[in-house]
Amino acid sequence: MRDLIGAEWRKIWTGRAWWAVAAAAVLMCVMADAGFVQQDADKNPGGGSTAEITSTLVQGWFMIELAAAVVALLAVTREFGNGAISRSVLLSGGRARLLTAKLLAVVGSGAVFALAAGALAAVSPWLFLAGHDRQPEWTATTTWTLLGVMLTIVVGAVWGALLGLLIRQQVASILVLLVSTWLVGEGLLRLAPAIGRLTIDEAMASVYRGGNENLLPIPWALLVLAVWIGAGTTVARTLFLRRDLP
Amino acid sequence: MTDAIDITGLTKRYGELTAVDDVSFTVRSGRVVGLLGRNGAGKTTTLRMLLGLARPTAGSATIFGHPYAQLPGAAHRVGVSIDGIGPSAAASGRADLRIWAQTCGLPRTRVDDVLEQVGLASDAHRRLRDYSQGMRQRHALATALLADPELLILDEPANGLDPDGIRWLRELLRSLADEGRTVLVSSHILAEVEQMADDIVILQKTLRYSGTAAELTRNGELSLESRFFDLADPTVKEDVRA
Repeated sequence: MRDLIGAEWRKIWTGRAWWAVAAAAVLMCVMADAGFVQQDADKNPGGGSTAEITSTLVQGWFMIELAAAVVALLAVTREFGNGAISRSVLLSGGRARLLTAKLLAVVGSGAVFALAAGALAAVSPWLFLAGHDRQPEWTATTTWTLLGVMLTIVVGAVWGALLGLLIRQQVASILVLLVSTWLVGEGLLRLAPAIGRLTIDEAMASVYRGGNENLLPIPWALLVLAVWIGAGTTVARTLFLRRDLP
Repeated sequence: MTDAIDITGLTKRYGELTAVDDVSFTVRSGRVVGLLGRNGAGKTTTLRMLLGLARPTAGSATIFGHPYAQLPGAAHRVGVSIDGIGPSAAASGRADLRIWAQTCGLPRTRVDDVLEQVGLASDAHRRLRDYSQGMRQRHALATALLADPELLILDEPANGLDPDGIRWLRELLRSLADEGRTVLVSSHILAEVEQMADDIVILQKTLRYSGTAAELTRNGELSLESRFFDLADPTVKEDVRA
């Protein structure tokens, strides 16, 4: 099993897609943090407490979750696209074994993204506040925000892989991921908060303390995330074991 | 001795379309078997069902007495090169083979061995996308040979090979069979199959023939080509000519 996980791990990091996606996500986070600092400076021209902006700057790195999800999704769907999934099944000792190895490798890749994002998020308050002659105030809330960001990145990677396994087609999978991330969760939260906060994206937002009053309390959000991942894994597994391969 | 492959009543339907209809045949161990049929005759679909990549609508297929998914050590016993199964997204030929070697727990040295065997050792650093069709066929064959399997299942391995490559392939498959391995090879190139196959299976959605090449050609009195067209649907042949 170790060899199989190693091979799946190697497939994830093969090619240039991962670093292009990661670089784009880092750029988005940097731009978001720069915007947060500017907003805060406009709101508090005299300075004041920096505890809130410190947590906000850390929270801004949640967007790496999208990169982790896309990288996992690409790794899965490109195998369906080029037919390599059939060879993976033939050489891995069975579909269930392969699926387990893929998901474990994806958890690992999510952890890599989470650690990198965690490191960048942790230093970002010092970097972004330095130019404004302000010192960050690291509080317990900041720590929990950082842990929440890192957890959602790992969950996002698994979710991306599950979407890829369910949909199989690369472009369609990415569209579903982006539309669900940017439109469905947020839209439902505005139109029907009771339903919207149960979407996986809004549950993630709760975990990284997204700041919307309609979001679930964190323990409930963690439960919702577990249900989404559990249900997604069950459906993906069932279909992967039954459906014909390309 | 257990047959290497046993296919019984295999059927595959896609809605209204029947791709393979009630096909049964066996492949004896240590033989080179040519699987013949026109395009769309169901050769690849039959092989995919045999390998568990597609679910049969009816019937069963076993390798060494087990469905592929339940065959102990399947990845080490069966080498496969089938149309539609591409390489990984790895950049070079060697990197791709290393991924597959790792997948089935083989040492890296095995990659160099098969690259040498298929004549790609000096090109293994090149990008897969820059490979010619013939090189891709050799690469696919290298992947199939990685685990030094006792059964090889090859789908149109001669496609894209030049005359030298075709001769090389024929000699390679013959030498593998001489070592006691079983080879099931589908092909359009009847003359090639005639030269290397011990047994012949002819498919045209249904089974048209399964037996020795000698019986089919009456010990060489008739050509494989003429027997193929006699047995494969003659009306389809007429349609093609029209």
